[in-house]
Amino acid sequence: MSNFINVISPLDQFEVRNLLSLDAPILGNLSLSLTNIGLYLTIAGYLVFIIGLLSSNNNKIVPNAWSISQESIYATVHSIVTGQINEKNGQVYFPFMYVLFVFILVNNLIGMVPYSFAATSHFILTFSLSFTVVLGATILGFSKHGLKFFSLFVPAGCPLALLPLLVMIEFISYLARNVSLGLRLAANILSGHMLLNILSGFTYNIMTSGFLFFFLGLFPLAFIIAFSGLELGIAFIQAQVFVVLSCSYIKDGLDLH
Amino acid sequence: MASRLAKSALSAARARPTLPIRNTLPAVTTFATSTPRQQTGVPQKDPKSAANSILDALPGNSIASKTAILSAGAGLSVAAISNELYVVNEESIVALSLLTIYWAVYTYAGPMYKEFAQGQHDKMKNILNAAREDHTSAVKARINSVQDLSGVIDVTKDLFAETAQLEAQAYEMEQKAALASEAKSVLDSWVRYEGQVKARQQKELADSIIAKIDKQLSDPKILDQILKQSVSDVERIVSQKSS
Repeated sequence: MSNFINVISPLDQFEVRNLLSLDAPILGNLSLSLTNIGLYLTIAGYLVFIIGLLSSNNNKIVPNAWSISQESIYATVHSIVTGQINEKNGQVYFPFMYVLFVFILVNNLIGMVPYSFAATSHFILTFSLSFTVVLGATILGFSKHGLKFFSLFVPAGCPLALLPLLVMIEFISYLARNVSLGLRLAANILSGHMLLNILSGFTYNIMTSGFLFFFLGLFPLAFIIAFSGLELGIAFIQAQVFVVLSCSYIKDGLDLH
Repeated sequence: MASRLAKSALSAARARPTLPIRNTLPAVTTFATSTPRQQTGVPQKDPKSAANSILDALPGNSIASKTAILSAGAGLSVAAISNELYVVNEESIVALSLLTIYWAVYTYAGPMYKEFAQGQHDKMKNILNAAREDHTSAVKARINSVQDLSGVIDVTKDLFAETAQLEAQAYEMEQKAALASEAKSVLDSWVRYEGQVKARQQKELADSIIAKIDKQLSDPKILDQILKQSVSDVERIVSQKSS
């Protein structure tokens, strides 16, 4: 019976909890809280800062292993930005894309640390990022092209009769970018962590069921290890995918197809 | 629950689902180094050296200290688990699998990354060293090319002295030439003046003689005397011819 009571939802690991909170009946019931997501985002910030410090290598010209890792990330993101947006005009958006990539990657990797918390599995965080990016790209498009920006919704060479329908579809697809961009990242991280959690729950129950079952449980354990490796790959791939898509949305805003 | 509370700490620990793992944990190592794996035809390391490498991996200098660390570690783990400082649950499985992956990444990808990083490091170092050597050789070449001009100060000093001397001589000669031409022009003018004076005096003398003769010719006495003289001269000539 106690086993049933102790079953924890796989979503429990994603619950946002208050670690420290200050509730005061001043300034309209002031409520300041340090939540676990806040803590882990802060840790991520410090981690990026520390890696940056390590990479600076006391301002020496010859790089160390940390600098080379940063330079590799730099080169990767730079090639994405110049390849997706423009060789010349894309450079302006590189700092933003680099920060976005490093932020998502570090948060994904922090989520991969045992007993930690995956901030990027939270839709509120990823949606904030994706809505900001798409809204920014839209504002960019309007500021650059004015009302001609709406030509983005008109596919080239489309028959006049189909135009209202296609414009509607394009408009909906444009709006869906907001959701899809954030959803993709959070869903991947969320599902990966949930999968690991569920499988490990099963494996744990199998392995603790008896002496023979302990050995039987080693097989699903091997699967979990394989999935952990996959998750590590996903942490990198999702950061890259987010940046690639953000770049392509910015390109749409800049060039209108 | 009441009965569980009534039990001793040992039995309480047994009631927890952590117990089977604790009892069977040594079996993991047994499984890993069990004989079936040794018979797979894949060339295996000598079991003795494998065991020694595991022992060497432990911290400590002697067998005694290694044993102490091992037993202390095991004791602390047991104490932590039994006191619920560490709870073995599903999350432990995730932790185990993630740590395995990190270990694998560290063991297999780590050296590769290290090699790559070292390659980049060496590449940049070599470029910088090559640039430094190029610069050194360029500076040396420049020094060598400039070395030919090292006696330029003495040469310049000599040339300066010589030039000064020559200039002084030239100035002196110029002065001499100027003086000579000055003297020549003065003497020329003097000669011209003297010539003019002489010509004027001759002209005056001729004029005075002509005037005196003209004056004398206008005198009848003289004319008469001339006539007489002329007649006498003619007579004398005639007489001479006739004689």
